[in-house]
Amino acid sequence: MRAKELMFKFWVILSGIIITVITFGLFLYILYKGIGVVTPEFIIGSPKGIPLGTQGGVFPAIMGSILSGLISGILGGVLGLCTAIYLNYYCKNEIIRKYILNALQCLAGIPSVVIGLFGYTFLVVGLGISKSLLSASITLTVMIIPFISIRMKKALEETSKEQYISSLSLGIPKGYTIVKLIIPSAFKYIMTSLGLGTVFAMGATAPIMYTGVVIVSGVPGKLTDPFMALPYHLYILVNEGLSVEMAYGTAFVLIVIVLFINIACHFTGKNEDV
Amino acid sequence: MIIRTEDLSVYYGYKNILKDVNVTFEKNKITAIIGPSGCGKTTFLKSLNRTIEEYGGKTEGNIYLNNEDIMNIPVQKLRNRIGMVFQTPVVFPFSIYKNMTYAPIYYGERNSQKLKETALKYLKIAGLYEEVKGDLDMQATKLSGGQQQRLVIARCLTVNPEVILLDEPCSALDIKNTANIESMLLELKKDYTIIIVTHNLAQAKRIADYVIYMEDGTVVEMGKTDDIFDCPLDSRTKEYITYMKN
Ligand SMILES: Nc1ncnc2c1ncn2[C@@H]1O[C@H](COP(=O)(O)OP(=O)(O)O)[C@@H](O)[C@H]1O
Ligand SMILES: [Mg+2]
Repeated sequence: MRAKELMFKFWVILSGIIITVITFGLFLYILYKGIGVVTPEFIIGSPKGIPLGTQGGVFPAIMGSILSGLISGILGGVLGLCTAIYLNYYCKNEIIRKYILNALQCLAGIPSVVIGLFGYTFLVVGLGISKSLLSASITLTVMIIPFISIRMKKALEETSKEQYISSLSLGIPKGYTIVKLIIPSAFKYIMTSLGLGTVFAMGATAPIMYTGVVIVSGVPGKLTDPFMALPYHLYILVNEGLSVEMAYGTAFVLIVIVLFINIACHFTGKNEDV
Repeated sequence: MIIRTEDLSVYYGYKNILKDVNVTFEKNKITAIIGPSGCGKTTFLKSLNRTIEEYGGKTEGNIYLNNEDIMNIPVQKLRNRIGMVFQTPVVFPFSIYKNMTYAPIYYGERNSQKLKETALKYLKIAGLYEEVKGDLDMQATKLSGGQQQRLVIARCLTVNPEVILLDEPCSALDIKNTANIESMLLELKKDYTIIIVTHNLAQAKRIADYVIYMEDGTVVEMGKTDDIFDCPLDSRTKEYITYMKN
């Protein structure tokens, strides 16, 4: 019995160590491999050289990733939050609630490349929106909706049923209670879900491949412009055998942005006076 | 008489929780509801301000507030007139001050001087003011259980209800805090009507004017506190009281 206990404990600790080492190792490795090419020129410049991308920088891709990530994060955040509010506070019918939750589960299980194909068929071919920041962001939104909705739903549950009923018992209507009590109570979690959703969208390649991303472009000036994105740029650099070095530089930038967004969301949530 | 129920039945789905409850509550009195757990005391309180609907309960029969059928009163107005306090203290995760101004702000009070007056007035009535006066911006969740419960009662008073429903408000509190709340309730009954569920018979004896004994979704007996405790008419009441004494 005692041996079993020890082995279990050993296994738990070992798993923790393995995960930590992999995470930090990966991180440090990418930073190490990338740091050489990350110069100010790399960050604020455009791809240059022949073939294009072997020199110069990734600025349009940085902006493209940030913009598409933010647009889909915000769209997905608003839709996800509203879905969660509906599910938790307005949906009286248990069957409809189960149906929506199942639909979200199914959507979460669809491979992102299929969502990309759908976005292409529906938005680009069907509705005739060009391959653009808009089409890509909408497609990314579809991808992150289940992820965000489920997290938002959990976030709303920060407010207990009793707190909710206590507010109603003061004669205060549902809507006001949701806006002034439930959302502020969950603000921190809402911000983190938003951040995670944005990061998830920024890292995805498949959904934007057919819907908006291109090998080279400037910084998109309007929603209907095509754009560059960091993960796709990385993919091209490696796939076309252009430059593994530049690819690590791109990965470095992507990871730093992702980290920054996570930390920013974490602190925005913390400082909210609730 | 401020509240009267007429053949009140409550269902959760097909489960019949309350069966033909006919009771009355007197104005400016404390009425205690006692009975074994699961007999429907909480359900009864929730049906008085229609929060039962938020739990999926359905009611039949009528409830009258000052002779007006509560179904004819807009639900928010009804809940404004009948406040409710839960068993575990349910503070909002805001500062003490924000807990107190939450409802007044909703009701349109914007003047910060008036808001402050209201907040302080009810904190004083709840006997909490002296303990928290320097720390109104402190998170309410940092208060002790007893202080939280008094804050919740104070918050309930900010909307100036006519009736206050309390569901075992002291069951999570120690003797000192319980005594605090009891003396507050005795003070409050001058201005409000109080209905309190309690499993503490000594508490009912100390503070209640009337007692209702419930069992299995029905009202077995109701009457003056002394009558119920000293000479109950129904053998089931007698049994419960004897059982609880030991
Ligand atoms: N939301 C609910 N759905 C279904 N049944 C419930 C619900 N809430 C309470 N009940 C049932 O109603 C009965 C009475 O519960 P309650 O009013 O909480 O009793 P008490 O407060 O007297 O202990 C119990 O049998 C309980 O299981
Ligand atoms: Mg109860």
